[in-house]
Amino acid sequence: MLHVEKLTASIGDTPILKGLDLAVGAGEVHAIMGPNGSGKSTFAHALAGRDGYEIGGTVTLDGADLLEMEPEARAAAGVFMGFQYPVEIPGVNNMYFLRTAVNSVRRTLGEDEIGARDFLKVAEQAMELVEMKKDFLYRSVNAGFSGGEKKRNEILQMAVMQPRLAVLDETDSGLDIDALRVVAKGVNSLRGPERSMIVITHYQRLLDYIKPDFVHVLVEGKIVESGDHTLALHLEENGYAGFVNHDLDDAPLSGASA
Amino acid sequence: MSLGILPSRSAALEQVDSLSLPTKRDEAWRYAPHKTLGQLTFGPAASTDAALADIDSQIPQLDGPLLVVVNGVVDAGRSRLGALPDGVSLVSLADAADEAADVLERVHEEADDAFSVINRAYGTGGAVIQISGQQSETIHIVDVAVPGAEQNASSSRVVIDVAAGSSAVIVETRIGSGDSFGGSNVRTEISLAADASLEHIILQDLPATQIHLGRVDVVQAANSTLRARLFNLGSDYGRVAYYVHLTDEGAHADLSGLYFGFGEQTLDQQITVVHGAPNCTSRQSYRGVLDDSSTGVWNGGVDVRVGADGTDSEQSNDNLLLSRKAEINTMPRLEILADEVSCQHGATVGQLDEEALYYMRSRGIPAEEASRLLINGFADQMMDDLESDTVRAWITERLGHANV
Ligand SMILES: Nc1ncnc2c1ncn2[C@@H]1O[C@H](COP(=O)(O)OP(=O)(O)OP(=O)(O)O)[C@@H](O)[C@H]1O
Ligand SMILES: [Mg+2]
Repeated sequence: MLHVEKLTASIGDTPILKGLDLAVGAGEVHAIMGPNGSGKSTFAHALAGRDGYEIGGTVTLDGADLLEMEPEARAAAGVFMGFQYPVEIPGVNNMYFLRTAVNSVRRTLGEDEIGARDFLKVAEQAMELVEMKKDFLYRSVNAGFSGGEKKRNEILQMAVMQPRLAVLDETDSGLDIDALRVVAKGVNSLRGPERSMIVITHYQRLLDYIKPDFVHVLVEGKIVESGDHTLALHLEENGYAGFVNHDLDDAPLSGASA
Repeated sequence: MSLGILPSRSAALEQVDSLSLPTKRDEAWRYAPHKTLGQLTFGPAASTDAALADIDSQIPQLDGPLLVVVNGVVDAGRSRLGALPDGVSLVSLADAADEAADVLERVHEEADDAFSVINRAYGTGGAVIQISGQQSETIHIVDVAVPGAEQNASSSRVVIDVAAGSSAVIVETRIGSGDSFGGSNVRTEISLAADASLEHIILQDLPATQIHLGRVDVVQAANSTLRARLFNLGSDYGRVAYYVHLTDEGAHADLSGLYFGFGEQTLDQQITVVHGAPNCTSRQSYRGVLDDSSTGVWNGGVDVRVGADGTDSEQSNDNLLLSRKAEINTMPRLEILADEVSCQHGATVGQLDEEALYYMRSRGIPAEEASRLLINGFADQMMDDLESDTVRAWITERLGHANV
């Protein structure tokens, strides 16, 4: 379903992703873990189509070349990214935003748009799933939301958009225990044979709720280790030290006199 | 006309020939197009026989009392003055009874500029509105400028008096007809007695070939409340100046507005609030969106006089520049001569938030629509508290988007 080969991303002269390979099959859930600054969010943004990177390599979703597409076209192709830092949009009503998003995708796919009343039902169902109070639908997108509320709003959007590939970037960070359960419930309810997920997290805790099929370790812009969910337990015990060192051993020592 | 020539008018008529127009050195007129201002020609109001395009399509369709002024002359046919609610007196300025003379001869502290002298001299038509009691029907004054052969600019006046403890909503819609050069010079004088409250809305939407010069003088007594809302949208040069004088304790002036410029427009807002008594509050909150080569001007002043202790004022001016050629000149002014005063001000100038655009696009919303949503979101916040849904709908329609 998703094929990532030799993906590189740099900003200016700074390489951030240095040849990332990943294959995600239909219905699979992959977790990506890795130290701060290793490039996890950059990977997520490279999939979603953010501007400002020099990109190399290939990324295909169901055979279609994602890298050629604008962000909105990627969304129409089924990519959804839950932002690590969801953006506040003052003055734009959450419900209107959601409906515009859904209808924009439908229009691109040549489907009929959903009217306001039918959409309200869809939205309310999704609200229930993420246990959000109704008034959040009528507030501006993320404006003044608490950190945890923003993350729930991301899951709400995912539930409404029903993506083919969901990339959740630290959706569990900053959540209290109840919110974590709610987010996990939202993710699990969307799991299905036709939907794949990439879950970026720092905490093995999340993976107790969302059991991944694969766990990958991203260090310095590359996947340096892959395994099943026990890899997350190993990381929880031992941290990234082993991987980081291993990576540095391979790298030329910068600053050292030859 | 039941009135003789008002003393102030004869004085103005004497001055009018020797007037010198404002120049670049006048701070309040710095960004005005001085050359074009000099091409406006004024004279005594005369009924126009020019065929008027349909004005209904250009104004909000409010149900309440309506007075239409065309080129400074009340158009009785287009007005709706029958069956006024109890406590509402709405008459043509030219027909105002003698007892209204004191209202018409009110002297304002703020010095007259050349265009207000012209207004005194030639602005013999317009509306006199006197309110008592709580009025729920919105009163609508429409001013239409139709540049003529004799003179291309019209003058008119709107005089509003709200009695103690009374309240009303008044909308002034200012439009024009035709596509030749000209304009309107409208002066509004508002007096709010103790505990009175008024929502006063100006919808400025003259054609882009014309000039609009608006001036609003307000005097507020104790514990009165003004909510002034300006939607400055039309004209080549669209200007509205407010001089609000809080003369007694506890008065509250809340002014806000939106200017939205395209093409070569210059939209100019000049605001001065004078705190002349203790414990008054004022708010100025304006937003501008400037596209193409348009220019916005926001010059907002708070003048805290000796003895106006306990003054509380806030000013904000936020701007969105949509094009490299668009320009904003924002100038807060503060003069404080009293104690225990809290005056805050802030101004921002920004472009569309790239992160927000990306966020929306990542949800499938095409770039252009995402921009539109962001712009509308920014602008719509200025109409959140409008009493009239009809007015809100008119503005959103005018700005080219359906309401959410
Ligand atoms: N605009 C930028 N200019 C320069 N460097 C950048 C820029 N954006 C990100 N980086 C760098 O790229 C690297 C990867 O950042 P990224 O946000 O992908 O890390 P991450 O793995 O998501 O980290 P975290 O776990 O803290 O969220 C970091 O070193 C970061 O400083
Ligand atoms: Mg990150």
